[in-house]
Amino acid sequence: MIEVKNVTKKYANITAVNNISFSVKDGEVVGFLGPNGAGKTTTMNMITGFIEPTAGQIIVNGYDISKKPKKAKKQIGYMPEGVPLYTEFTVKEFITYMAELKLLKGEQKKNDVKKVIEETGLSNVENKLIRNLSRGYKQRVGLAGTLVGNPAVIILDEPTVGLDPKQITEIRNLIKELGKNHTVILSSHILSEVSQICERVIIINNGKIVAVDTPENLEKKTKEKNTLLVTVEDPKNNMKTLKEKIPQIEEIKLLKDNEDNTKQYSITSNEQVDLRKKLFEVLPKEEITIFELKKSEATLEEAFIKLIDLDKSNSQNDDEISENSKDTKKNKKEKKEKQKAEKEEQKEKKAKEKLEKKQAKENEKKEKHEVNKEKNSKKEQNKKEKGGKK
Amino acid sequence: MFAVYKKELKSYFLSPIGYIAIGVFLFLFSLIFLLTTFSYSYDMGNLYYFTVSYGLLIITPIISMRMFAEERKNGTEQLLLTSPRSITAVIFGKFLAATTLILIILVFSLIYYAILCFFKAPNLVTTLIAMLGFLLVAMAAISAGMFISSITENQIIAAVLTFVLLFIPELTGMFSALNLMNCYQKFPAGIISLTEVISLLAYMIMFILFTIIIMQRRKSVK
Repeated sequence: MIEVKNVTKKYANITAVNNISFSVKDGEVVGFLGPNGAGKTTTMNMITGFIEPTAGQIIVNGYDISKKPKKAKKQIGYMPEGVPLYTEFTVKEFITYMAELKLLKGEQKKNDVKKVIEETGLSNVENKLIRNLSRGYKQRVGLAGTLVGNPAVIILDEPTVGLDPKQITEIRNLIKELGKNHTVILSSHILSEVSQICERVIIINNGKIVAVDTPENLEKKTKEKNTLLVTVEDPKNNMKTLKEKIPQIEEIKLLKDNEDNTKQYSITSNEQVDLRKKLFEVLPKEEITIFELKKSEATLEEAFIKLIDLDKSNSQNDDEISENSKDTKKNKKEKKEKQKAEKEEQKEKKAKEKLEKKQAKENEKKEKHEVNKEKNSKKEQNKKEKGGKK
Repeated sequence: MFAVYKKELKSYFLSPIGYIAIGVFLFLFSLIFLLTTFSYSYDMGNLYYFTVSYGLLIITPIISMRMFAEERKNGTEQLLLTSPRSITAVIFGKFLAATTLILIILVFSLIYYAILCFFKAPNLVTTLIAMLGFLLVAMAAISAGMFISSITENQIIAAVLTFVLLFIPELTGMFSALNLMNCYQKFPAGIISLTEVISLLAYMIMFILFTIIIMQRRKSVK
């Protein structure tokens, strides 16, 4: 059980994490989600006791991480971002060292190291130097190091970054397996991953918690419209007039024009209405053949973007309110930001112009080349002709 | 503490640093042996340990530079500091590992004592006292290097700064209170001077405390 109460972390001028509170129950798998720089890693570093929070309290399995660090840290296995390892060691040496750091001794240490090496599938490389391992294996060594000593809480910071798809599924399965008898917190910015593994998602943005819920609920919450995807063969182009036949349709969009004369459309309607039945009734009458009809699922991606946008607009509103009550500092900031944005735009324009110029030059060169080639070929022809005459 | 100690000592010999340190000192000892043995005295303290102690000023920065700088750069610092081991235990583990490296060098230096015994045995007590002083000077220098290594993540900067800290007082005569060589004047003659012992211990404790403070502070500043 992890309790995070009103935790804030400030660096000189920046507030990295702003008054967040949440709790994670025993045996739960929780995902931390957020754009880069949202405060995920900072939060994890605070839970593991690597950084001290500026304010607030963190309790891990009943022990306050600031007051009883030794007991609290014993509960935690942490795999930091980027998976730091002692690369001059062999896999076994490294894991043994991690076990020793976690106060394991004698037989228990040996057995634990052995068990973890088997669990993470490292048996065939256990005597290799970590330096010589591939990225995926290094990741597994890092994971083995966190798992050794069987900590109750496992915290993983971006565990699947930089792995190939096969390795990612392997690591995911391993994490799922772990979730059965450990409390797991993992951070990621890959949403499908989180929705697959985690029972609950905490979305952070700008150091604040935007939403805490199950992935399914988040998807539902942010879903406003019902969207259907239809692939049809429509020789008479009757799809355009469909809106008149079925008034519930809000929008019809052509998505793809396939090579086999079929077209894919997306049809949006209000959330409450399910158009599928109606489409099956109406389309054949219009001489349209349905090849495929499916409901488009609202993804966690959409939810995520929507929530973060909401958060942004909220904070802007806050700014406006405080502007009215306070002085013009924020105005100045905004002006500066605007100026920056303008400058960036100008830069982009310049860059585009440069690119265009380059392309133009290249084209010219090509043309010249071609002209030269033509000239050369003409010369050769002339020569040949002359030779022939001689 | 023992876990960190074992790992650090192993690391010294997995990287070239351990071998370089031992090699350099053996070279210095051999050089002196070559130059002096057949010409004159058998005074190991003054001839060997006193001369070689200048080598400490060059080699300790190389031994101490990686202590914390490397861990910070590789991020392995996170593994150490999120483990249930206390910061003090980690610092002492590292410090003692470096000290052990110096001890190994001193054990090797006994070869020359053994060889000299064939001719005329040097005074054993004097030699041992000179060695004790050598060890204390080395420990003081290592503690300074360790402190500097804990404030940067660049090993080269750590080495250069330590080198400057150790050499400037000797070269310029300024900051003589910080000059470790001033505290290695009576040891080579076989005299344990309370002033020298206390100065060296104070120097050492001061920098170890600084290191502990820095590492503790980093938690809240970082």
